[in-house]
Amino acid sequence: MRKLNIFRAGKLAVAVTALLALAGGFVGVSAAAASQPQSAVTGETYVIGTDTTFAPFEYRENGELTGIDMDLIRDIAANQGFTVEIKSLGFDAALQALQSNQVDGVIAGMSITDERKLVFDFSEPYFDSGVQMAVAEDNTEIIGYSDLAGETVVAKRGSEGETFANSIKDEYDFTVKALADSATMYDDVKAGNSVAVFDDYPVLAYGINQNNGLKSVTEKEQGSSYGFAVNKGQNPELLAAFNAGLAELKDSGEYQAILDTYLEQPAPAAASGFFGLLGDSLPALMKGLGLTLLATGLSILIALVLGVLFGFFKVSESRVLRGLASGYVSIFRGTPLLVQAFFFYFGLPQLTGQSIDVLTAGVLTLSLNAGAYMTEIVRGGIQSVDPGQTEAGRSLGLGYVTTMRRVVLPQAVKIMTPSFINQFVMTLKDTSLLAVIGFAELTYQGQQIYASNFRTGETLLIVAALYFIVINLLTMLSNKLDKRFNK
Amino acid sequence: MSKISVKGLRKSFGSNEVLKGLDVEITEGEVVCVIGPSGSGKSTFLRCLNKLDELSAGTVIVDGFNLSDKTVDLNEVRQHIGMVFQHFNLFPHMTVLQNIMLAPVELKKQSTADARATALKLLDRVGLADKASARPAQLSGGQKQRVAIARSLAVNPDIMLFDEATSALDPEMVGEVLQVIRDLAAEGMTMVVVTHEMGFAREVADRVIFMADGVIVEEGTPAELFGNPQQERTQDFLSKVL
Repeated sequence: MRKLNIFRAGKLAVAVTALLALAGGFVGVSAAAASQPQSAVTGETYVIGTDTTFAPFEYRENGELTGIDMDLIRDIAANQGFTVEIKSLGFDAALQALQSNQVDGVIAGMSITDERKLVFDFSEPYFDSGVQMAVAEDNTEIIGYSDLAGETVVAKRGSEGETFANSIKDEYDFTVKALADSATMYDDVKAGNSVAVFDDYPVLAYGINQNNGLKSVTEKEQGSSYGFAVNKGQNPELLAAFNAGLAELKDSGEYQAILDTYLEQPAPAAASGFFGLLGDSLPALMKGLGLTLLATGLSILIALVLGVLFGFFKVSESRVLRGLASGYVSIFRGTPLLVQAFFFYFGLPQLTGQSIDVLTAGVLTLSLNAGAYMTEIVRGGIQSVDPGQTEAGRSLGLGYVTTMRRVVLPQAVKIMTPSFINQFVMTLKDTSLLAVIGFAELTYQGQQIYASNFRTGETLLIVAALYFIVINLLTMLSNKLDKRFNK
Repeated sequence: MSKISVKGLRKSFGSNEVLKGLDVEITEGEVVCVIGPSGSGKSTFLRCLNKLDELSAGTVIVDGFNLSDKTVDLNEVRQHIGMVFQHFNLFPHMTVLQNIMLAPVELKKQSTADARATALKLLDRVGLADKASARPAQLSGGQKQRVAIARSLAVNPDIMLFDEATSALDPEMVGEVLQVIRDLAAEGMTMVVVTHEMGFAREVADRVIFMADGVIVEEGTPAELFGNPQQERTQDFLSKVL
């Protein structure tokens, strides 16, 4: 199960949550609930945290949060007479928000583990998960583990599916390949690169339901159970109400109906056409595009400052400053951007104990990286101006700074501008790499969409088209400005 | 009165010694032409006079300022010494007028309006009053060099240095630039002129210095140096260029 290992009882959870609260613009409302008599949940409003996308438990459809978890908590609330306000925070952030009482409960396809029981109180299990094997729809040869001899199967990196596949691979003589997300795994199987996939049963069932081109061929293996959680010792009446509501839904058959909706029901009529997909996905993609542009804009501005600063260091007479600039450039030009992004988001907090939000980490990565290239652009620009220009300025009695400002830089900027525009475009495209640290930019939004609808090709076409349009518009604008100001 | 006093000037670039101990006295209003073969150190000598090149050893005193003294404000000194370069070094992103006005305005020596009036006067003096709003790229070589001279004069220097000011010009444009320098000489400007124009040196110079291999081989009036050179190297050089 993907969520077993990510729990962190950070002392900084409060600070982090405060930050998230600021970023998300929501205000904790748990204080009012805690002061109520324990039996009375009726009429109360509880703030419930959840993950961003973990289909079929929570995901967005036409911008609305939906899924098993969402239907369940809403129906239980209706059944017990309280109201819920759902905050889609991401898995880790939701747990941190719960610990600092910024939310009253969390429902996020969370496995009940002993480690988590130390800090949270769990409801009765509401779902039993487990690993299941699936193959391509038209595959008639593989019907059990024993048919896998000599073949390659695929599983999600770090998941229970991978653990299970590895545990039986010697017995059945097959090879396990690990990939990062479900949609990619399913495409891998359909493309014939792997013959079978091991994935969480509900995720797999939902994918099959969505016509992902696979079929399951084994019974699910015994796995972990999911539970609803409240902070240790907090909101016991909410927990009690959840358990009571869950029992009633199970009795009335409503619980099974919810599961069937997502796991059993035959697929909805033919999938909507390309333009239907375009219309459905555009709101989320535009939001992603906005973040892409925000990260690009911030990064380029900071990179420009860094580039000018270190660029001047590079052409200065001080060996120390030159060394400093050279060190900076070689570090950030000499390591992959992806490694830098991982380092700033995951590595740095571990080293410093100071958490960092994903936008900050992303902008830090991009601006430091682009700054290194900018430094070289600035250095090259300054050095490509004829030294005779500086000599002429200095021989007139003008100081170094004045000569730079009035004589060298205006000429250097003109030389640098095309390279600046180029770097700007590069940085815009590089923002897509931040999807790996969960920054919700354009590519990330695209991944989220095909993670739930499995229409990888079409979705990526739309994403690519958006990049193409925006980059070319911005390039045209930049070139116009260049022509206008750098005659 | 001594305007420029050079004693024991040495200059090395790495292990290559370009100037090997020069002693020169130049008095106010004197026009000194420096001649000699390529690589003899003429230009380096000139660039040491306003410290565009650092001195390795020796002293240079210009207009009363000792250039070896770290406390001397070089920017102040350079306002007393104009310099004209072989390749003009006009600022291509500015008009002719802006080129000339830049230093007086930036150095706060003149208001913009005064600087403009002065610049126009100087342009008139070098015969380019109609080119005020042109860009350097629109000018011929001779015109560019005349603008460069006007630009140097705009800060009102006491001394002018010319570093092969006509070497990069087409032959038919040499005359117009030399005429401007000739006029300056007639007005009593102290000048050091590094040149390959022997006819000009003979006509305008009060004194001619012949340099070779980083030393002053011989100096004297044009009549002495051109008419009756004493040193073999001088005779050899003159026989090739005259």
